[in-house]
Amino acid sequence: MKLLHGRYRELAPHLVPLDYTNNPDIRVPPTLIVTMPELKENPFRDRIVETFSEDGHGNLSFNDFVDMFSALCETSPRELKTIYAFKIYDFNRDNFICKEDLKKTLNKLTKGELSPEEVLLVCDKSMEEADLDGDSKLSFSDFENMVSKAPDFLSNFHVRI
Amino acid sequence: MSTVSEPLVGSSRSLSAAKRHKSIRKNSRRIYSAYQDHQQGSSDDEDKEEERVDSNDPEEMFQNIQYQKEIIANIRTRPWPMRRKLKVLKQAREIVLKYEGRLTRTRGYQTAGADLLKKLSRVLYNIVVLFIPWEVRIKKIESHFGSGVASYFIFLRWLFGINIVLTIMTGAFIVLPELLAGAPFGTTRSKTIPKEHMASAQDLDTIWSLGGYLQYSVLFYGYYGRLRKIGSAGYRLPLAYFLVGMAVFAYSFIILLRKMAKNSRLSLASASDENFTFCWRVFCAWDYLIGNPEAAESKGAAIVNNIREAIVEEQEKKKDTSLAVLISLRILANILVLLSLAGSIYIIYFVVERSQKLEQEKPELTLWEKNEVSVVVSLITMIAPSAFELVSQLEMYHPRTSLRFQLARVLVLYLGNLYSLIIALLDKVNSMSSAVPVSPGNWSDPSSFLATISQPEVDSLSTLVSEISEPRHSTITTIATLLNVRNTSTSSPGSFSNQTSLFEKNTRSQQDPCWETYVGQEMLKLSIIDMIFTVASILLIDFIRGLVVRYLSDCCCWDLESKFPEYGEFKIAENVLHLIYNQGMIWMGAFFSPCLPAFNVLKLIGLMYLRSWAVLTCNVPHQQVFRASRSNNFYLAMLLFMLFLCMLPTVFAIVRYRPSQHCGPFSGQEKIYDIISETVASDFPLWFSKVMSYVTSPVVVLPALLLLFMLIYYLQAIARSLKFTNNQLRMQLQTERTEDKKKVFQMAAARLNAPEAAADKKPDQQESDITSQEASLNTPSPQRNGSVTNFSSPVRHGNSIRTITQSASRAHLNRGRVAGSVRSPTVTILPKHRPEHIPNRAPPFVFGPSGTCRSKSYHHMAYNPPARYSDNIHSDPLYRKAIRSIHPVEAAGIITAQSYGGRRGHTTRYVIVNEHEPRKKLLRSSTRIPRHYLMEEPAEILELYPRNIKRYTPRATQHQPHPHRAHLSHQHLSEEEEDEEDGKGRRRMVSGKAHRPRSLSDLHQPAHFYIGDHVERHVSVVKGAHTRARVRYGGQGEDEEENDEGEMDWGDLELNSRVQANVRAADSLLVRTRRHIHSPDRHCQSPARTRHMESFVKPKMRPKLETPLTESDSASLASSSDQQNSSTDQYIQVIHNKEHHLKADAGQGKLAKKKSKTNFDLNVIESNDLVCSNV
Repeated sequence: MKLLHGRYRELAPHLVPLDYTNNPDIRVPPTLIVTMPELKENPFRDRIVETFSEDGHGNLSFNDFVDMFSALCETSPRELKTIYAFKIYDFNRDNFICKEDLKKTLNKLTKGELSPEEVLLVCDKSMEEADLDGDSKLSFSDFENMVSKAPDFLSNFHVRI
Repeated sequence: MSTVSEPLVGSSRSLSAAKRHKSIRKNSRRIYSAYQDHQQGSSDDEDKEEERVDSNDPEEMFQNIQYQKEIIANIRTRPWPMRRKLKVLKQAREIVLKYEGRLTRTRGYQTAGADLLKKLSRVLYNIVVLFIPWEVRIKKIESHFGSGVASYFIFLRWLFGINIVLTIMTGAFIVLPELLAGAPFGTTRSKTIPKEHMASAQDLDTIWSLGGYLQYSVLFYGYYGRLRKIGSAGYRLPLAYFLVGMAVFAYSFIILLRKMAKNSRLSLASASDENFTFCWRVFCAWDYLIGNPEAAESKGAAIVNNIREAIVEEQEKKKDTSLAVLISLRILANILVLLSLAGSIYIIYFVVERSQKLEQEKPELTLWEKNEVSVVVSLITMIAPSAFELVSQLEMYHPRTSLRFQLARVLVLYLGNLYSLIIALLDKVNSMSSAVPVSPGNWSDPSSFLATISQPEVDSLSTLVSEISEPRHSTITTIATLLNVRNTSTSSPGSFSNQTSLFEKNTRSQQDPCWETYVGQEMLKLSIIDMIFTVASILLIDFIRGLVVRYLSDCCCWDLESKFPEYGEFKIAENVLHLIYNQGMIWMGAFFSPCLPAFNVLKLIGLMYLRSWAVLTCNVPHQQVFRASRSNNFYLAMLLFMLFLCMLPTVFAIVRYRPSQHCGPFSGQEKIYDIISETVASDFPLWFSKVMSYVTSPVVVLPALLLLFMLIYYLQAIARSLKFTNNQLRMQLQTERTEDKKKVFQMAAARLNAPEAAADKKPDQQESDITSQEASLNTPSPQRNGSVTNFSSPVRHGNSIRTITQSASRAHLNRGRVAGSVRSPTVTILPKHRPEHIPNRAPPFVFGPSGTCRSKSYHHMAYNPPARYSDNIHSDPLYRKAIRSIHPVEAAGIITAQSYGGRRGHTTRYVIVNEHEPRKKLLRSSTRIPRHYLMEEPAEILELYPRNIKRYTPRATQHQPHPHRAHLSHQHLSEEEEDEEDGKGRRRMVSGKAHRPRSLSDLHQPAHFYIGDHVERHVSVVKGAHTRARVRYGGQGEDEEENDEGEMDWGDLELNSRVQANVRAADSLLVRTRRHIHSPDRHCQSPARTRHMESFVKPKMRPKLETPLTESDSASLASSSDQQNSSTDQYIQVIHNKEHHLKADAGQGKLAKKKSKTNFDLNVIESNDLVCSNV
């Protein structure tokens, strides 16, 4: 905890006080959060930060910060990770991963190295694979079903601080 | 005033009483509610408050505590924001703390102790983590390069652990006893350096080739004494040596298999055949651990490659271009690989042969000649894999298959190396051991003679030496001198030059036959050289290259970092293979060189540091993703394979060859394993050896073997059948899931269609039931109505008297009818309703006959039908509702026509209110706090009443405030039709939201449970407003589908919106009628109250009303998801309802009344708004 707070404070020493006894309402803007070495290489860093921020804009209070790392830590249960992973990949927050979300995910993942046709193909294919109910978007249960069978989701979806 | 206030108080009291009755269950409910209510953090606190008030019963307290503990235990798994978690946690802890002490002292102490223990164990765990070797380092690597690279280091660490154990085994049972209790160095011939080697024994190159002092040390087999028992304790060293040698293999096998079993158990979940090739590549490809820019880059590139591959694969699944070329290329590649394999094997064999020859021909060997064998082997192991890689590019396989091929080839190469080496060595051994009998041919008699002679001679000498050395504490120098003395002594008597030479030969022949030492030496040498080469390759290939690439890239004409030299890749698979190879050497040589594991420990430590340093400074991860999770067992399987193959030569040597005659613990025996039979024969009682002889006889062994085979077959069959069932279960699961999905979608579709289709549907019966349920929610009031008869007249005065009356009349009719027909409890009544629905829809006269209603109502009825039919499809549901409302009346048994009259007037106002009501209920229900009822509602009531009054008298004034409110509500409705469901729906929504993440994932069962909880909650809520709830539940019991309900709601919504728009007068009428149904009860009382209350709490009203609305909206999002669950679970609800009925009947009519009143009041207010807007 102390360590986390240390890390949190280190991001914005001028914003974050050492003393949290009277619960100041302090939020660190996303631009600072994503400079953490744990996140700075992550293509989804903005989404991660947004997902865990209470206001939805990426401003993280310390609570959110702790939240983020507790969800991403090694020991957090698979269900929780799945939930947050889904949220992270759900760019437009409509509780479905639609094609647009998929496209965005792909583009972030590959840094735009794939041609639009390729992206489209991959989107179609992944939809085809994971969409069990045929509504051409992935609901959470689709997503969970898919992820629960992924061999390395658990080992990949965690961050070490 | 007094009349009003008294019932209120009474209600609160009875409420608490009721709560106490069901407190246990309620506790559970409460807990869940805490989870479920997202928006209502405040309610939780109040909940707690209530808790304190009502729990005295120890049993219940215990339950409560249990629940709270559950919360504490599970809080980590909830996807809530931290603040909420903290809050709930704190709350739960407080409760636990508070009540636990009350329950029993000891229990409190127990938990305190448990807490302490937990903390301690956590601290301990943290400390232990500190002591896990390289944990920090590995984590650091993991965080930089991802789990793939880390898996190599974890594997390395695991091997390190194994080697530690092996070292301890050999160290404790062989080396230490020998050092402590064995004959000291130089006392026996096998422990003395022969004279002619003495001079060079300390030379560097001798040491380097493990000769000299090293050769005659505990490092090798030859040093160990052959005495059966050593030391004062009579330690049987030879036996121990043999047993430990076997135990090394046994332990390795066991630990490997165990680890593999564990791994496979872990990976069981992901062992499905299903493949989400693309999805996994998109969603699960990124390793969130990666924090190093270069690693990230290469990972990104790997992902792109991967996806491209998948695309290409997808595109080229059908077409196969230039198959012939490809096949020929592949054949060529395989031929090349085979050639290189054969070449490497031949080279190794050749080198071993040559070295042997050289050794025999030349007395002095150069450094190269000494280390030729191991250097060549190491070189081959280094170079060949790269060559294979080049070759594999010819093949144009899919990268993953090519990786597999590569691994297989490298493994074969390593094995071939080791095998050819050991075979060459054993060949040499063969020739050596045969050389002793054969050599006499060369040297004929003299040698044999000398050999025979030398034996006694040496013995005497050694005794001499020992005699001399004992006083002087035999140091090396003294021994050397002694040996010189010995030499001279032997030579002097004979004084033949011939003899000396012969002697030299003789000594050599004595010393050479120690083939075990020789093999051990070779293995150790190989291991050392391998280590050197590894270090060198890391330094040269990785480090220097990294330096060059980094610092020279500026002054080069091409980009060094991305083109030719690049950075060294960290090839996980090959490095792991190298580790396996290394371990194979250890296993192979461990028997002949007991210190080999110890050496390997050192080597692994060095490797760990060097590798991790290299990885962190100058490597990039391999682009070919080698799946860590699966690879774990892959590594282990290879290791197991290696172990088996490495064990074979050793075992073969043990069984096949005669141990050296003059060195080692087994010298003088025919076979090494004779030690066992010898021990059995001499050290065990006679019967044991007899038993052993029986056991080892074919009579026993053959059946045992057979039995084993049968067992294996049986187990395999079981495993197969299990696998089959496993598959079937999985299939079942899958189909169930998809079916559920389909159901959900059907439901959703039905919902969407419902508003339009509602009128057309004849299956309406169910719907009607549902609607009736909803209506029933509001109905409880009729009882009161009965008591309060005459308020009707003032109501009517309003503008819309007509419409009002009509609607009212309908309601009346229904009620009257039902009341008349059905006196029995609600549950029984329900079935009757169905037939009645149709009549409702049918012309008005149907109603007429049914009712106990008064004449007034009839009149109204007559008016209604035309209006309804002409205008609205939606009217049907409304009617049904009305029907429902009847139920409460029945229960109460008190319905007078007068009351109906009163209702009518009021009903008009309620139009929109009904829908809002549920929301408020939601709030209340979720909170379930007495406070709400007591505090807030009264206020609302007060306010409401004033409005009503106002409305009646000065209408104009009310208009302005109301419309906007009405709009609010309408907007909600219109915006999201789905969202808008009745009270039930909303309640569910709230709960549903909380559960959503879980319920979906967990199939339906979990959902069931939750729903059960909800129902309970409902019940509790109902407590507050018993009558209403009752009625409603009864309705539910009838209906088996909630969807219909949902449809109904939509219908309502539409109606409402229409009303707003003022599109059709009829519509508005209909809407009103509905509301009427709900409203009538309250009105009766309301007028009286309203007047009293007028002066009271107006200001508070507004905010309260509005806040609930917004909350409900947010909650409503979840409603759609909830529905599925609820539908499946309905029957549970029904059960609860019944219970509830019983309870309610049992006796809180009063309470119910009060509650209902408050609710109604709320409704009234809203209804007013609506009306205003309409007008």
